[in-house]
Amino acid sequence: MLNTIKQVFRSPRFLIGFIIFALMLLTVIFYPLFVKADPLAMVGNGNFFKPGTYVNVSETVTANRYTLNVDVSGAAKLDRQLNESDRSKMADWLIRFGGVDEAEIDTSDSVALVELWKNNYSPDADQPGLISTDKKSFERLDKRIDEILSSSGIIIATEEEDGTLTESETIDETSYVNINDLATTQTFVLGTDNFGRDVLTELVAATTTSLRIGLIAGLIATAIGLILGLIAGYLGGLVDDIITFITNLFTVIPSFVILILISYSVGQSARGVGLVAMIIGFTSWTWTTRSVRSQVISLRNRDHVNLSKLSGHSMFRIIFTDILPYIASYVVMALILQISSGILAEAQLSMLGLGPATTKTATLGLMMNWAMQYSAHLNGSWWAYFPVILTIALISFSLNLMNTGLDQVFNPQLRD
Amino acid sequence: MGKIMLEVKDLKTKYVTRFHEDVYAVDGVSLTIEEGKSLGIAGESGCGKSTLALSLMGYYFAPLHYMSGDIIVDGTNISGMKPDDVRHKILGNEIAYIPQAAMNALNPTQKIIRFIEDVIHAHDPKASKKDIYDLAKQRFEVLGLPPEVLQKHAVELSGGMKQRTVIAISTILSPKVLIADEPSSALDVTSQKMVIKMMRELMEKGFIHSMIFITHELPLLYNVTDDIMVMYAGQIVERGTAREMVFDPIHPYSKGLMGSIIVPEAGTRDQKLTAIPGTPPNLKHPPAGCRFADRCKYATAECKGATVAMKDFDNGRSYRCRYSVDHLREVYADE
Amino acid sequence: MKGFRKYYGQKILWYIFTLIIAVILNFILPRLMPGDPTSAIVSKAVTGMTDATAVQKVLEEYTAKFGLDQPMIVQFWEFLKNAIRGDFGVSFSQYPREVSDIIASSVWWTVALQLPAIVVGWILGNLLGALAAYLRGVFDKVLLPVFLFISNVPAFGMATVLLTVFAVNLKWFPTSGGYGFDLIPNASWEFYSSVLEHYCLPFLSIVLITIGGQAIGMRSMSIYELNADYVKYSRFLGIKDGKIVGYVFRNAMLPQITGLAMSIGTMMGGALVAEIIFSYPGLGSTLLSAVTGQDYPLISACTLMITIMVLLANLFVEIIYGIIDPRIKAAQQD
Repeated sequence: MLNTIKQVFRSPRFLIGFIIFALMLLTVIFYPLFVKADPLAMVGNGNFFKPGTYVNVSETVTANRYTLNVDVSGAAKLDRQLNESDRSKMADWLIRFGGVDEAEIDTSDSVALVELWKNNYSPDADQPGLISTDKKSFERLDKRIDEILSSSGIIIATEEEDGTLTESETIDETSYVNINDLATTQTFVLGTDNFGRDVLTELVAATTTSLRIGLIAGLIATAIGLILGLIAGYLGGLVDDIITFITNLFTVIPSFVILILISYSVGQSARGVGLVAMIIGFTSWTWTTRSVRSQVISLRNRDHVNLSKLSGHSMFRIIFTDILPYIASYVVMALILQISSGILAEAQLSMLGLGPATTKTATLGLMMNWAMQYSAHLNGSWWAYFPVILTIALISFSLNLMNTGLDQVFNPQLRD
Repeated sequence: MGKIMLEVKDLKTKYVTRFHEDVYAVDGVSLTIEEGKSLGIAGESGCGKSTLALSLMGYYFAPLHYMSGDIIVDGTNISGMKPDDVRHKILGNEIAYIPQAAMNALNPTQKIIRFIEDVIHAHDPKASKKDIYDLAKQRFEVLGLPPEVLQKHAVELSGGMKQRTVIAISTILSPKVLIADEPSSALDVTSQKMVIKMMRELMEKGFIHSMIFITHELPLLYNVTDDIMVMYAGQIVERGTAREMVFDPIHPYSKGLMGSIIVPEAGTRDQKLTAIPGTPPNLKHPPAGCRFADRCKYATAECKGATVAMKDFDNGRSYRCRYSVDHLREVYADE
Repeated sequence: MKGFRKYYGQKILWYIFTLIIAVILNFILPRLMPGDPTSAIVSKAVTGMTDATAVQKVLEEYTAKFGLDQPMIVQFWEFLKNAIRGDFGVSFSQYPREVSDIIASSVWWTVALQLPAIVVGWILGNLLGALAAYLRGVFDKVLLPVFLFISNVPAFGMATVLLTVFAVNLKWFPTSGGYGFDLIPNASWEFYSSVLEHYCLPFLSIVLITIGGQAIGMRSMSIYELNADYVKYSRFLGIKDGKIVGYVFRNAMLPQITGLAMSIGTMMGGALVAEIIFSYPGLGSTLLSAVTGQDYPLISACTLMITIMVLLANLFVEIIYGIIDPRIKAAQQD
């Protein structure tokens, strides 16, 4: 036994798969110990906040201020504040009305561009072909550039009792706060989702749930498959014919369809996480049945089984001592595959709106479903769905790697 | 003395295992076969006789590797040739092979005649399909195989029929040397007899010019081949005519091997069946002295000391043992 | 020839039987469940739970047409009669369209997308897998982990990633639909080129997923076959490598065909969900809208249609298999 385990761990594929899976499992176990927040708490007031650290604006005003001699008025500031379309707009105007040669303009060099602009732009210039709103928009742009160039700072005013505003202080361009001085910062490593929930915390919770669904579904499917396969393979004859026939039938009739029909019909209210897992388990046993059956048939007439039969051992004893130990590795491999396909099945069901009908827990499929319903994939909120896809792929990848690793150890014929 | 069809000089080949260890499975084998003669090679499982069969063809692919020695087929030294040349000019054409497990030697999804076409086209790309069919049909008929077999797939044939089909395909180009590796071991007795009969016919009808027959079943060799060589731990330990080898083995290993068979002839009936105790040495690290010393009941400390060369005696017989022929004969007579 | 006829006869009979079972399941599963959608329809129809008179009318019509207030066996008979005529009633969510009309307009999108995609992916996957097994070395070392990973990415995941990269960011392809939203289906060049543009990404995502899975299987099958005795024997008869690779490819491909038959249902399931990502006007999107709209007649028709497609695909694969594997013929003649 120990030797077998050693051998299994010597397979590089198994090892890589095991490490990936173990890392995910550890994250799922330990993350909630450190982050105690409710994974489904709606923290953000709005859709899809991008990943990053959020600081409280009013707190930055009152926080300790440090003056740093870092150039903020020059290129860096212009770069930051003038976006692509502003620059192309400026270039456009300069070429059309400012008499600047196209070759002179480099939109990536904001300082030079602004200098050109200041030298050539005049709101009163002759601008044929432009309607007044366009002219206005150029004026606004010019004003904005002026604002950026001036470094007067931001004035903080306090409201007096009579309603007048009095300047209390000015925040200079060179003022900084230390992020460690701020008491209320919120970091969303993976941003927030459509409901304003922290994606990372939600993802960890969803992975836990999905793994649980996979495990329940896998255990049910493997148990059914194992029992049917054992009965069919060991008893043979009519029982075998019937079981094989049914198995073949359900191999061809897509389990996906049956899954949809049952999931829809049990009704929205009854469809919790556990039930979905059970439905998946009850619709995916065929593969295991087939492989267990063929294994048992090849074992059935081995010498040690025949010897047991001749010694008058009961069927259960033969199955438990002479057959099960020999197919244990196959059953484990089947379970591993079932877990990963169970997770995938849940995700696909949820994408169709037939996943667990719950707002209390997240699953990987539900996260994907929410992200798609709120068009995260169209509005560039990659953090809402990409980590989910990656997690599903990594779970499946690691489990399959472990499976092929085991296969290599237990089926030396396939060794390459 | 007839024309020499195959001459092998001091051939050495090795296996390289998955863990990059060398296994010296053929360690300095020399042999010659004249035209029209057959040579049997006998030995226990794992003595290197199947490896020898593969090595003799002069074409090597992993895990088998060529180390040194010459293979001369009808005057041409093929061990100096490029592997691709050996494969396309010699294999199938000059040297033919009958594999150990003929059950799986044929592509299950191809018609026999298509495979024969591929074999012949590999050596004569211009041969017309009709000529090939005629040749195959005639050859099959002469060898007592129903020509319908040509239109079948390997899966449709019984085990014995498959083996005979493989033999007919291997020899379809009338090779100079046929190397047969246990061609009948996996078959039932009736099929075995048919295969043996077929091998004899191949020689008689001139479809092959010489033959090497490898088996662990000694009685077969006695019936089929002219000469017998006994192999042990990657080396030849004795060579003689079939009759001499069965009735007058000299090397203690040959003696032991012959003691474990029954030859249904007068004079052998009183012999007791004996088995040789122990197992052959590990060829990753072959022992320094006589390789049989560990299992030999006549061995002394000296036997394990120095390597022993093949020694000639009588009329062209040879053996590999420190003791003299007379001494060994005396010892055997005393038992 | 007799062997073939027997084989196909048996296969076709078996598939007809499977279809009957599938139809029964399609009918009976929803009715056995605690949240039985049909009894929900009846109760809605009788109590007039919905105020919209149109919906109320549809419910009543449906109840009458499918005899939902009748005993189960009568209901089944009605269901079967209507199904054979292609009549699944009126859609609840897209009133007053007939369910059969909705299915008819979406099924061809799915067929035209999935059939070529799975076939192309299967062929490319097998070629690459065989090549990896034959060449080994760097080619194999690089491709194997890539294939292993890709084959574990869910189809909808691949669809989303392709959409994000090529449609949203690079803007090479449109983001959704089966053709430009400003176009009306007609036989113009403009319409066809729009269809083609919208076709690329969904097609590519299914192809990539299929390649990944198939290449792995083909690679290990080919390695297994390359070590087979007939390969060694053929070499020792001087047959050229090109020919031998041909034998190996053919023999390794046969189990791959059986594998395809076994997994085509799962593959189509995945591809249907991938359709949703692209809002492709096929059965996947129809199914989603049916689920969202609580449209039981449409769901039932969709699942039946998917089943029929999978069964047909399976039967087709098995027929092909019978032609190219001579062992089938041999087995039938015993």
